[in-house]
Amino acid sequence: MRKLVFAAIALAMGAGEAARADAVLVLNSDEASYSILSRSSRIELARYPVGREPHHVIVTPDGKEMLIGSTVTNELLGLDIKTGERTRVVKDVIDPYHMGFSPNGKWFVTAAYRLDHVDIFHADGYRLAGRIFIDGLPSHIAFDAESKTVFVTLQQSGRLAAFDLQTQTLKWNVPVGNAPAGIVMLPDNKRLLVALTGEDGIVVVDPKDGGVQSTLQTGKGAHNFWPQGDGRLYFLSNRVEGTISLIDTTEMKVVGNVRVPGGPDCMAITPDGKELWVTQRFLRRVAVIDIEQLRVVASIPVGKSPHGVFMLQSGAAGPARGPVRAASTAEDQK
Amino acid sequence: MRDLIDIWVGLQTWIFETAVGPVLFEFGLMAWYEPGYNAVEFVMLGVVQIVVIAVGMRFFERRWPLEKSGKDDRLILVDQIYTLLNKLGIVPLAIFVVTYPLVQEIELAVRAWGFAPPRLERILPWLGDNALASFLLYFVLYDFAAYWLHRAQHAFPWWWALHSLHHSQRRMTVWTDDRNHVVDDLLITLALVLFSQLVGVQPGEYVIILMIGRLVESWSHANVDMNFGWLGNRLLVGPRFHRLHHALASPEERHIQDHNFAPVFPIWDILFGTAIYDTRNRPTGVADPAVDNDNDRGWIAQQITVFWRFARALTPKIRRATAL
Ligand SMILES: [Zn+2]
Ligand SMILES: [Zn+2]
Repeated sequence: MRKLVFAAIALAMGAGEAARADAVLVLNSDEASYSILSRSSRIELARYPVGREPHHVIVTPDGKEMLIGSTVTNELLGLDIKTGERTRVVKDVIDPYHMGFSPNGKWFVTAAYRLDHVDIFHADGYRLAGRIFIDGLPSHIAFDAESKTVFVTLQQSGRLAAFDLQTQTLKWNVPVGNAPAGIVMLPDNKRLLVALTGEDGIVVVDPKDGGVQSTLQTGKGAHNFWPQGDGRLYFLSNRVEGTISLIDTTEMKVVGNVRVPGGPDCMAITPDGKELWVTQRFLRRVAVIDIEQLRVVASIPVGKSPHGVFMLQSGAAGPARGPVRAASTAEDQK
Repeated sequence: MRDLIDIWVGLQTWIFETAVGPVLFEFGLMAWYEPGYNAVEFVMLGVVQIVVIAVGMRFFERRWPLEKSGKDDRLILVDQIYTLLNKLGIVPLAIFVVTYPLVQEIELAVRAWGFAPPRLERILPWLGDNALASFLLYFVLYDFAAYWLHRAQHAFPWWWALHSLHHSQRRMTVWTDDRNHVVDDLLITLALVLFSQLVGVQPGEYVIILMIGRLVESWSHANVDMNFGWLGNRLLVGPRFHRLHHALASPEERHIQDHNFAPVFPIWDILFGTAIYDTRNRPTGVADPAVDNDNDRGWIAQQITVFWRFARALTPKIRRATAL
């Protein structure tokens, strides 16, 4: 069976470079599996088992592997970024709900959403440097450009916390709004965007002290970001509203909106930059949005509660070229 | 198949986004957004089960009844209330609210301790490639746990004080399965949820196991005179098999109810020597008049009186002290 499936993927991917870049990975968080889809033919090619409750996937700093966080089994599953084949399992990473590597590739940080702690690892060998317990459901993380600080949203307490990577100590912990989830550092390294899932928009936060500089209304349940192009434009999923907003971060205004039903969550852009893929968690589908026309052109069936989405081979040299980040995000999950 | 899934989740999403999601959002309960969505499915599955029982199973009860209708028919009404309260999620929601913090505490303590519940696929890798085999194995494991819990319900006096409510029904029908005291439901749910987490049943699988399991159990209480052959009777628990478990004890068969405990797969009774296959028809119920009195009560009165029965069974010393 597995051989057959691999054969099917190989066939779909073809032998050539271009064809291999055609695959898309989606994590079905409620059924402990991931789907491999064909980007061009927009169908699911195969489904494989993986740990339990996989939510997010990231790329290693060398750009060779993607790591799937299997939250309940406390491990990372490595897949080859080109072929999708399994490379290894990193054990003893507790509750890897959301994760990220610092821009310099030195640090690996996880937010243990269910267990209320943030773990800072030396990326080399995944050796734990420090574990910081913090109340309030740590959900999403982002780094500063110097790889000195990691920022973690605390969904339950409505706060944002900053930790010093070198010393693994808390720098500050301040309120930012209801149920903060997705967070990104803008390329200027001077502004953090935080999505407020319990409200109807985002806040712009000063990375120095967590002070809220401004707010922007986007839609109910603002949740997660994905950069377009050089990072001036960001897509944002609004889970309750059922829309994706396009935000111009220089003017700080919404420049486009597209309706995506079914609790849209994580996103990824195809390597050619033409399509945005979005998981529709409730509908068990992945929506394909034509970026130029800003409309949904397809919706592909996958497994239960699809969460993270990832373009094979599109990873390390991501469009924003900023911190390598989770290919998805999300909080929720009981 | 995919069309069916689309219709199902389309309806689920519509109900959730119209009625449940906005409420969670308004009250700042976004951490419950996904669980709330799953709760909608639970209720939808409950409606499906009610339809299957009321239309499908009732057809067989009308066509081939074992006990003919008579003056005891009025006893069925309260069981119908139990079924509605359970299948429409009202009792389960109450149980969830009570057990959630406890389950959470236990799960987090275990996980913080560094223990990761195994998934069977770790031990039997081939399972990963066979969704059906994997599902069946989890189902069988779940049923194994349920079998032993059911034996415990009969073995401990305080638990029997609760479970006897289920057995007191003299007029057993497809509606009887949900006739349980809420504390009994709570204990069983708690135990089965913890067991499922321990062996690694996934949320998606859990819902299907629950759905199919409960349908088989409703059917096993049916008042029908049907035979499913030697093999059929040994593969799945049917009405004859479970009716024997509900049989009224007699001087010749004092411990008749200590047989046929299995909820779904009779294999457990066969393996552990508690199976009886025969075709005698016996009346059902409990000989103890204090328990039989349940039949004269409605839902609320049953819940109150059985709770007292339970409380007294828990405190034998105090009772003796006051008796002196
Ligand atoms: Zn019993
Ligand atoms: Zn029964």
